[in-house]
Amino acid sequence: MTKQIELSGVNKYYGAYHALKNIDLSIEKGSFVALVGPSGCGKSTLLRSLAGLESISTGDLKIAGELMNNVPPRKRDIAMVFQSYALYPHMTVEQNLTYSLRIRGVAKAEAKKAAEEVAATTGLSHLLGRYPRELSGGQRQRVAMSRAIIRHPKAFLFDEPLSNLDAALRVHMRKEIRTLHDRLHATSVYVTHDQIEAMTMADHVVVMKDGVIEQQGAPLELYDRPANKFVAGFIGSPAMNFVPATVGEDGRSLAVDIGEKQTIPLDRQLQPGRKVTAGLRPEHLHFVEPGQGVFRLPVGIVETTGSATYITTSTATEVTVVDTTRRPVGAGDVIDVSIRPADVHIFDAETGLRV
Amino acid sequence: MTETNRNRLMLLIAIVMAAIYLFPLYWMYITALKSGSEMFATPPTFWPSVPQWSTYAFVWESRGMGRYLWNSLIIASGAVVLITVLGVGCAYVLARYRNGWVDIGLFLILMLQVLPASLMITPIFVGFSQLGMLDYPRLAVIIAIAAKSMPFFVVLVRATFMAVPMELEEAALVDGNSRVGAFFHIVLPLARNGILVSAILIFMQAFGEFVYSKSIIQDIELQPASVGLNSFMGPNTNEWNNIMAYATIYVTPILAIFVLLQRRIVSGLTSGAIK
Repeated sequence: MTKQIELSGVNKYYGAYHALKNIDLSIEKGSFVALVGPSGCGKSTLLRSLAGLESISTGDLKIAGELMNNVPPRKRDIAMVFQSYALYPHMTVEQNLTYSLRIRGVAKAEAKKAAEEVAATTGLSHLLGRYPRELSGGQRQRVAMSRAIIRHPKAFLFDEPLSNLDAALRVHMRKEIRTLHDRLHATSVYVTHDQIEAMTMADHVVVMKDGVIEQQGAPLELYDRPANKFVAGFIGSPAMNFVPATVGEDGRSLAVDIGEKQTIPLDRQLQPGRKVTAGLRPEHLHFVEPGQGVFRLPVGIVETTGSATYITTSTATEVTVVDTTRRPVGAGDVIDVSIRPADVHIFDAETGLRV
Repeated sequence: MTETNRNRLMLLIAIVMAAIYLFPLYWMYITALKSGSEMFATPPTFWPSVPQWSTYAFVWESRGMGRYLWNSLIIASGAVVLITVLGVGCAYVLARYRNGWVDIGLFLILMLQVLPASLMITPIFVGFSQLGMLDYPRLAVIIAIAAKSMPFFVVLVRATFMAVPMELEEAALVDGNSRVGAFFHIVLPLARNGILVSAILIFMQAFGEFVYSKSIIQDIELQPASVGLNSFMGPNTNEWNNIMAYATIYVTPILAIFVLLQRRIVSGLTSGAIK
């Protein structure tokens, strides 16, 4: 596997503001990488730096092995799909698609042929003569994608491309983008604030916060072994429950404080008396017969979606439980739940790092 | 009061206001067609009994209006070209870069707009005379008008540029264009309407400009129509029909341009000329 994009020790300052802090990231050729994080985490800045729309302050940025620090966007041979699609309003779909080719001096007939080929694969053939304002949101999205594809660039950069679409279309386009990526054997970097998009589409997810890469890895790796409390809370929906806890005197149990103290067994040895935070995923809390569980929890709010029931407890530290068995539960009931020791995530109470 | 009645009342008020506003224009047109005695008749007539069409030909010939209008056209066109070429670049920079210096620049530009022409003419006249520019009086007036109207143009066109999303330019950069190429391919075509409208407004202003032309251009051969109209006036002026005929010939082309382009001008001023 060759590295298509390599960042080492990249920093970006806006005046005194430190937007990207020591970013190290290497992206394999043909992989689909998602940059995910809350707004203001630097993921868009990172993407724009790859495109050359922002310059990096220090560090090295290589695309296909070439140092690109001071190379203008037009010489980087990358394509970008913008959040607003950024279609040229005064050009038809065909002109939008062929713009990059025309700048490079590709012959008219050849550019037209390329546009027709790409349009055929993205289902735009009948729209080539239209202007962007005459298209629906999904069609504009496809034009933006096609405009990137037509150039066979070294990498595709996506800047939250689905956030302007409605929910159903978003799920559909998610699959379409991934299919396209696989068919073109392209290298893609995809920025999103939606962890579900990142998890479902990417081979490699990079979680960022405040300009720092908190963790990167395969989607399930992040879900199964979050490196810290932030990643644990960010990945997974509904979000992980965090409850304060203390390691028992034997070092193999955990006293959990959800309103009332309850003890759960541990599958590993920890320092007795250590203050920690226990992370319990809502989907890992299972209903058990009364008296069999490790938690007895009073029910506060019940939300049903049909496929799953979200139960929020009325304890001092709120806990969410997801149930897919359609067990009848109402507010005010007391439920008995259990969790496998292996499913308990433990984080240091102060640093938030995985223990 | 029902909805329909209120709408009717509003319409009535609008018509009355429009009538008051347009009355001088109407009066100009009909006075130009009146005979010498009818002009001073009491009560005044609101429609000339015998329209005197020959007044136009007489004024055109006797005042040499062809030459005046030609000078006005040269001065207005020159000012528009100068302002457009310089102002578009200036407006673009002010729209795209934001920092303290740009804010100061913008403030100074707006300051310039505040100063009246009659105040500015003295220093301009002295300066031009030192530079020997009074030997080229029409060029001198073009430059003076350009300096005077540039802020107005820059502020309008800057708003137009700001309405062109930055992402479009970035898309063009990533697509392989240079900054300059992106400006000419993407930004300029999208801002075209706003620039055109601002240029037309500048043209109309410059076509009627008086203070600079009157002060700088001494030679009758080179004076624009606004100065020519003024030379009609005197303490004992009574040939109002001739003056109004002159005014009619002077403003009708401008009015026609405005009416023809009015929809574009209004939309160009309010929207950002995008879509």
